[in-house]
Amino acid sequence: MEPLFKMTKKQEHKKFDMFSKRLETAKEKFKKIDVESTLLPKAVLEGSPLSVIVNTLRNKHYDLPLNKGDDTRFIITLIALMTFLGVLALSGTFALHSMTNKWSSGLENKVTIEIAIQSKNGHILSQETILKETKDLYASLSKNPIVKSIEILENDEIQDLISPWIGNNLNLGEIALPGLLAVELRKSDAKDLEALRNDINTISKHAHLETHHEWLSDLINFTDTLRTLAFIITLIVGTITIVAIAIAVRTRLSIHHNEVELLHHMGATDNYIAKQFQRHALILSLKGALLGTALGIMVTYSLTLLSRNSGTDLIPVLQVSFFGFLTILLVPFLISFITILTSHVTVLRSLAKMP
Amino acid sequence: MIKFENVGFRYDEDSPDVIKNVNFTLEPGSYHFLTGPSGAGKTSLITLMYLGNIPTEGKITMFGNDIAKTKREDLFALRQRIGVIFQDFRLLPHLSAFDNVALPLRILERPDKEINSHVSELLDWVGLGKHKQSLPKKLSGGQQQRVAIARAVIDRPKLLLADEPTGNLDDEIGFRLMGLFEQLNRMGTTIVIATHNQQIIEQFGHPNLRLMNGTVIQDDKETRAQKIRHVF
Repeated sequence: MEPLFKMTKKQEHKKFDMFSKRLETAKEKFKKIDVESTLLPKAVLEGSPLSVIVNTLRNKHYDLPLNKGDDTRFIITLIALMTFLGVLALSGTFALHSMTNKWSSGLENKVTIEIAIQSKNGHILSQETILKETKDLYASLSKNPIVKSIEILENDEIQDLISPWIGNNLNLGEIALPGLLAVELRKSDAKDLEALRNDINTISKHAHLETHHEWLSDLINFTDTLRTLAFIITLIVGTITIVAIAIAVRTRLSIHHNEVELLHHMGATDNYIAKQFQRHALILSLKGALLGTALGIMVTYSLTLLSRNSGTDLIPVLQVSFFGFLTILLVPFLISFITILTSHVTVLRSLAKMP
Repeated sequence: MIKFENVGFRYDEDSPDVIKNVNFTLEPGSYHFLTGPSGAGKTSLITLMYLGNIPTEGKITMFGNDIAKTKREDLFALRQRIGVIFQDFRLLPHLSAFDNVALPLRILERPDKEINSHVSELLDWVGLGKHKQSLPKKLSGGQQQRVAIARAVIDRPKLLLADEPTGNLDDEIGFRLMGLFEQLNRMGTTIVIATHNQQIIEQFGHPNLRLMNGTVIQDDKETRAQKIRHVF
């Protein structure tokens, strides 16, 4: 379609010049942002989270006796517990994600046809009828162009499917079993499925088509809810950690008010004082977070082993992917980074009230 | 260097004025004693001079900056030019004598090598060479005062404020430290010393800021000359 207004070359140049001018003004404005006056540490604005952590640890000097407090152990324990919960929630999220993937993968274009034991008016069908209708369906659908492959599930395969619920000591002769056909389609949009359903109904009155999507969607919805819950738990844990660090830093500031005031009188900048609190908070959080992560990984691994060796297929195997495991390993560093930011902002806010 | 114009200060709105209508000017490189009876407001005046408090009225100009109009971030740089010897020393109890003295240099982020050599030299000079690693609680009152003095002068401040700096020192060390202040003054440091020590005031004969009923009376040169004539 032709544009309503076509620009001349001159207009295009003018527009380009205007745009370049705006860009230059924006760049100048950005340059003028006073890094020192912002609440975030300069290192945070200029470096990566890892470099912020390393730089904070490198500055080894303490003017304030921050590492000699009685609350040190409490803070480490609190952060360890919060991290532990966070790691469990994260592991749960990753395990649920891989479980959903496992359930969904390979089920595209696959459907099941069931010849029910009971007719719609309540009569129990004989095994012979079920077998005959199964074979008729097999013979007819094998020639259907949208069917890629079709397979009759034998009794031992059906037993494998239902054994988690009723055990392996099943005598199939005593129980009536439905006829089951596993079908793979070339494509499975609504129109194809409707056509297939009609074809099936013409062959057998007792057969019905089951798409895996029907039962899987409920399960996926459920796991999605669990994942959202795990995410909310992670957020709560993160918030509690931030609040705990902020309270600890404020307490320290109030305990060492005189020392902080003296440093101020000697010309120490807010950033100079904040760095010492940052380092202290970082060391505590690293200790707590590493401990909590280690515990969290141990518990996750134990749960994985337990689920793997449960002896029943009813309990799904909890498995955290490699990517998930790497993300969990990053948790202590993420918490450390959050700690640096929290302590920095808390100290600067408190110091701003001093003359 | 420092100009107080109609400066008044009170700790809160309901309390009385600690100092009021204070006017004086300290030229760069000057040396003044701050005298007055106990409770006259010497410490409050010194606190205003090291920017530890903001006046409730009047105008303070320091190093050419109107303090009321100076940004908070810029006050740090002004404070770094001021050395203070507090009456109660205000040493950090968990830091050694060495680390206490090194504090101003660390705040200025000076290299460790410079810090080590300057601090050691000054501690030797004030007679605490053997107590570098001692915590303040292990030092006597006089020794703590010497650490406080060393901390105040380590970075050769432009302005040195001392609140009773010789109070806990014996005469010999007291006079020796006054000699250090004289030396710093000759190198360009402006000095204000709050003291009760008449002997020191008379011996060194510097002009006097007299605090009376919360107000400062600044001796002029003639008054000072008369005083010196009177002493000798």
